[in-house]
Amino acid sequence: MVAENLSFARALVTTNLKAAVALRGAFVIQVVFMALNNFTFFVFWWALMGHVTTLRGWRIGDIQLLFGMVAAAFGLTVTVAGGVRRLGRFIEDGALDTLLTQPKPVLVHALGMHAQPSGAGDFISGLIFIVWSGQISWRATPFVVAVIVACTLILIACGVVFFSLAFWLGRVESVATQLWELLVTFSLYPEPLFGGTLRLVLFTVLPAGFVGYLPVRILHAPSLANVAILLLVAMAYLCLAVLVFDYGLRRYASGSRFTTFG
Amino acid sequence: MPPAAAVELNQLSKSFRVRRARETGVETRVRDLFRRDTQTVVAVDKLSFAIAPGERVAFIGPNGAGKSTTLKMLAGILRPDAGDVRVLGFVPSRQRRQLAFQIGTVFGQRSQLWYQLPPRDTFELLGRVYEIDPGEHRRRIDTLSSVFALGALATTPVRHLSLGERMRCEIVASLLHSPRMLFLDEPTIGLDVSAKAMIRELLWTESERERVTLLLTSHDTGDMERVCSRAIVINHGRLLWDGPISALRRSYLKAKRVTLWSDADRLELTLPGVRVLSSGSYRTELDISLDITPLGQLVDAALRQASIRDMAIEDAPLDDVIRALYATASSASVPS
Amino acid sequence: MIATQLAKYAAFSRIAASQARRERNELYGRMAFFAVILGVFSSLWRAVEEAGMPVAADPKSLVWYLAATEWILLSAPPIHIEIQEAIRRGDVVYRLGHPVSYVVAELAAGLGLLAVRAPFLGLTAFFCAFAFTGWIPPLTALFIVVPFGFAASAVITALYLGIGLLAFWLQDVAPVYWVWQKLMFVLGGLMLPLELYPAFVRRAAVFTPFPSLLAAPASFVLGTNLVTPGALAGRLAFWSGVTACAVSWIFRRAASTVTINGG
Repeated sequence: MVAENLSFARALVTTNLKAAVALRGAFVIQVVFMALNNFTFFVFWWALMGHVTTLRGWRIGDIQLLFGMVAAAFGLTVTVAGGVRRLGRFIEDGALDTLLTQPKPVLVHALGMHAQPSGAGDFISGLIFIVWSGQISWRATPFVVAVIVACTLILIACGVVFFSLAFWLGRVESVATQLWELLVTFSLYPEPLFGGTLRLVLFTVLPAGFVGYLPVRILHAPSLANVAILLLVAMAYLCLAVLVFDYGLRRYASGSRFTTFG
Repeated sequence: MPPAAAVELNQLSKSFRVRRARETGVETRVRDLFRRDTQTVVAVDKLSFAIAPGERVAFIGPNGAGKSTTLKMLAGILRPDAGDVRVLGFVPSRQRRQLAFQIGTVFGQRSQLWYQLPPRDTFELLGRVYEIDPGEHRRRIDTLSSVFALGALATTPVRHLSLGERMRCEIVASLLHSPRMLFLDEPTIGLDVSAKAMIRELLWTESERERVTLLLTSHDTGDMERVCSRAIVINHGRLLWDGPISALRRSYLKAKRVTLWSDADRLELTLPGVRVLSSGSYRTELDISLDITPLGQLVDAALRQASIRDMAIEDAPLDDVIRALYATASSASVPS
Repeated sequence: MIATQLAKYAAFSRIAASQARRERNELYGRMAFFAVILGVFSSLWRAVEEAGMPVAADPKSLVWYLAATEWILLSAPPIHIEIQEAIRRGDVVYRLGHPVSYVVAELAAGLGLLAVRAPFLGLTAFFCAFAFTGWIPPLTALFIVVPFGFAASAVITALYLGIGLLAFWLQDVAPVYWVWQKLMFVLGGLMLPLELYPAFVRRAAVFTPFPSLLAAPASFVLGTNLVTPGALAGRLAFWSGVTACAVSWIFRRAASTVTINGG
């Protein structure tokens, strides 16, 4: 069943790739510009850390690694499950109806339908940051891959939960997008900047801590146990997301939404 | 063994708790979630009918009649509140996945074709969705492409296709997995006359050829008359009429539309059962209820005023018939 | 004659403003985001202070500096999204037939949105910066920042309009927007005063409108006064002119390449 879903997801991504490449020029621009976007933003840190060599224990290499992890995970999320950011609109517009009449799992279908290969820009720039940080040895590559996958799963899970709010609250486009942006934003700042209560939030409802900070910590001293724990956390978030979506879908099928009927 | 009926509804009911969607604002929505000031609107009210395999049925009703709701319950998108429904032997809300392999849907206002790509790429993806053997799928695409005369359309990006061309591709997409039943929601909306004619003919032919049961909702009486043999009319979620389309017009309204060309500019025809629609420029158009005033009486009255140069007599437009049906609050009556 | 024209475009502004008032969700979201950013940066500057301030300013005033630059930036409505959609859908073709300049109408609508966003975000800036620092800069400084900030936001709105118009050639202007935005962050000294950037960055910034739009108005809060109010007014006028020319040039090129898809 899982294999079938993965193969279907792959078919969706391939079709999306075809659609993206159909407008070749635009695709290349997107990939290049998203990478450029990340590098330009990083100039801020590069300038600041040029003056202050450590910031509560964090050096520029740590920040590069942080950027790399988040960019790679974000890029992978967008490339494979780009539909997550449109989920709210899908639900609101009733676009799930078509998916409900087809024999594939609605969530996988909805996420994959708008997979955006331009996420490759973020992914590639993420990898560049990781290598550039000089903190990872080549032997740690399998750990890096596993950690990126875990972070991606957490991002996807959070997106699904945030945008699934549309099942209950209707037009949540801006709230959900805001939560999503907050998640990504917080992931990009070193965790030592945050106080006690905020840290609690960042490891629970807005798990930026699991997407940025913890991966960096783990990769400083990679071990099978640490990575396994992170993957388990990722699976837990994913299960939660699937449950929330399923529950919401049942509500959708009962018809109690803010739409008119006909 | 194939089921006896393709679709069976028995006392199917569905209501919605409607909260008026007021001003935007998440705080309002959250509060609404917990508040009790809702209104229950009955969308479908103890609806019962059956459709045999291979039948082509027009599902008619005004906006808000419950057509789309019923269609969604049949397709497994919505769960009914009460009553039984079986489609091709499956219970849609419980066996959605199995049913999905057997049904196709065409929503006139929505597209399942990927906008940037040629339809052929969507066709291939659908092969994966419906788990069809690749070789067989390719043959099926070729067959349907030729039946629907897609030609170069299949390899042209959807964004370059006209609405009519797109609709043909949508229907092909819905038939790729050889469904036994097709649900169509306003399939010819927005199309020009020739495109509509083409779509209607293709639907009829395909349904005949492959014994596909069709259930079609539309506001266009042309869709009903050219494609379907049977009409089910609902309003306020209740069945108003169920029977052959030909009988719909014949038995429900004994009305004719008469056009008279005379040598008088206008004709004054105030007879019971006669409603003059327009009179001027030597042409008079009127509706007449033949059970109130016989045709002979009308002609006599006209001849008393002028010479009749030409006359045309047609059955009342189906639109009028249906409007008359909507106006009645009577429950289902199957004509003899 | 001019009065009728102005009245026409003022109508666009009014409609946009009332729409913004009704669709408050996005604005609330921006306000929350703004508060979070100010919180994160007040933490950041305190952490920097521990390591040794690289600039002759204290963390408190740097938080207010960020509050000012972010206020200017966030107030400008992201109209490029809507314009891109209108171009994609083909709606814009019908607007071309109307007796109003499409570009001026869109700008007027954007300014209407700005008029609603700026006060809300301004209050957010003020109260959050105060909450995080426990300090308020001299009121004279704030009084200078406000009008220049409005003007700068208006120019940024016009720049977004230009980016939106690129949708005539690019299917998706989002990547261009993101890079543009990051360049604005860096060259406009959004989070970090320009003097903290390497010399080549400062030299490059001179050729862009960004320092005049963000760093210069906000510098009044820092008390560093990068420029005098008079000089800043002149610079803003100059960049407004450049933007106006650029946007109308883009639009004229675009209007001559319009094709309509479908049948």
